[in-house]
Amino acid sequence: MNANAETAEGAAERPESPDRGELDARFEQEVMPQLPSLYSAALRLTRNPTDAEDLVQETFLRAYRGFHQFEPGTNLRAWLYRILMNTFINTYRKRQREPQTVSDDEVEDWYLYSKMVDGGVEPSAETTVIDALPDQDVQDALADLPEQFRTAVELADIEGFSYKEIADITGVPIGTVMSRLHRGRKALEKALWNKVRERGLVRD
Amino acid sequence: MSEISCEEVLHEIEHFVDGELDQTRSAHLAEHLGVCGSCLERADFQRRLKEIVRVKCSGPPATPEHLLAKVRRAIREDPPTVV
Repeated sequence: MNANAETAEGAAERPESPDRGELDARFEQEVMPQLPSLYSAALRLTRNPTDAEDLVQETFLRAYRGFHQFEPGTNLRAWLYRILMNTFINTYRKRQREPQTVSDDEVEDWYLYSKMVDGGVEPSAETTVIDALPDQDVQDALADLPEQFRTAVELADIEGFSYKEIADITGVPIGTVMSRLHRGRKALEKALWNKVRERGLVRD
Repeated sequence: MSEISCEEVLHEIEHFVDGELDQTRSAHLAEHLGVCGSCLERADFQRRLKEIVRVKCSGPPATPEHLLAKVRRAIREDPPTVV
């Protein structure tokens, strides 16, 4: 069998030319420990434990098949999240059509901050009120955002990825990432304000 | 002494809190925040809100025990690929 150009190039980049055994060992050592983190992300994406498990299994299978193409020393977490997102989009999103926009025209910048100040919350105690919300409320508020905005906020604020990494993972330009993040956060602020009010944590 | 206006600072505060500004720009904003209480309060609000979302949403939905084994089995049974 003739080695094609791509294989030859790959081999040149990795002089040790790892065999499957070495790759398997590295996969076990480097990729498998990422499973809990990927499962959490999958759960947030699918909102359903069964789908999350299937998504994780498919993601790891694809990662395993493509692991020889992963360049050691580059960002493994971002690489895995990209596979997760692609798998999710190709497999699951078709099933759950949901609106892909947020109507945020009426949500001005500093929405939550202004509401807090107007509501008579003491300066610098504004976040204490949010912090008093049950975790579930904040998780619900985030989960209810349309998917692409939710994903941007999750990748940035929960997973700690940079704008550039989020652009790579989700396959959109950095400008789009920034816009989705900004709009997603505004929509989240509005949802959090509603939760705070429902809980009677602040007077409106 | 700061050359940036509050408007400019607030416009970029999100990128500042996300650690996405270059060093020089970031230093300029930090300098402004050092002398402007009102911008500092909003910056702190933004920073704490981000932290609250992280803490409250990254609680451990424990990975089901069987998933690790299931994934390992799926990989083991995957037809070998030529590397």
